Amino acid sequence: MAIKSKRYEEALLEASTNLELYWWVFMRISGVVLVFLLIGHMWMNSVITDLNSINYEYVAKRLSQTTWKIYDLLILALGLLHGANGLRYVLDDWIRNPSRRFWTKVVLYSLIAFLFFLGSLSLFNHDFGVN
Amino acid sequence: MYRGREGQWAFYLHRISGLGILVFLILHVANISSAMWGPEVSNALMKFYHQPVFQIGLLLLIAGVLYHGFNGLRIILMDFTAWGVRYQRQLWYGVWVLFVIFYLPFLLKIGGGILGGGHGD
Repeated sequence: MAIKSKRYEEALLEASTNLELYWWVFMRISGVVLVFLLIGHMWMNSVITDLNSINYEYVAKRLSQTTWKIYDLLILALGLLHGANGLRYVLDDWIRNPSRRFWTKVVLYSLIAFLFFLGSLSLFNHDFGVN
Repeated sequence: MYRGREGQWAFYLHRISGLGILVFLILHVANISSAMWGPEVSNALMKFYHQPVFQIGLLLLIAGVLYHGFNGLRIILMDFTAWGVRYQRQLWYGVWVLFVIFYLPFLLKIGGGILGGGHGD
């Protein structure tokens, strides 16, 4: 929806409301997708496979296939975004002091950004298309 | 609206499981990324995580993911249907039915592994 406010402060308020709506929609859509991706992921690694046999070889072999790279990258990106936004809801509810809330968010968002970086780096560190 | 009853429990469990999953994700990504340091480092770390105590943690995590996922679907039904809120309590019991159906294979496989030995060494 276009911003109709004439003053910057009001526009900011309105825009943040829209952003909030997008996050709300995102939580629902990513949630549905993640239910399927994660049940598949857990099933594959702990019901079909013997957990104790999982080692470097197994991980390298699986992550060398483009399909699984994309699958895992989707889990990583959607999971971290879904988790980060959920965490934001929790922090907004639980931390009343504004400056403490701000700095907690700075630290946790940085951690999540770092995890995305680390996770995707390790995904693409393996070759593509090896069977 | 639903203070102190099923809806309240559903909400608390949704938050706790969500936070738990996020904490696990940090450990999980760190563990998998150890592959970048080669097979020795990676295998040592994975062997460490094959100890039974972590597998009990894994069972707890899978329970968290299944609950969070199915309760999330319940939330979506409440948001997008005309009847969802009215039947939120019945839907919550539906969540637990789905939970049991999906959790059993994991419980049997991983639980069997813990009891049967053959891990870590």
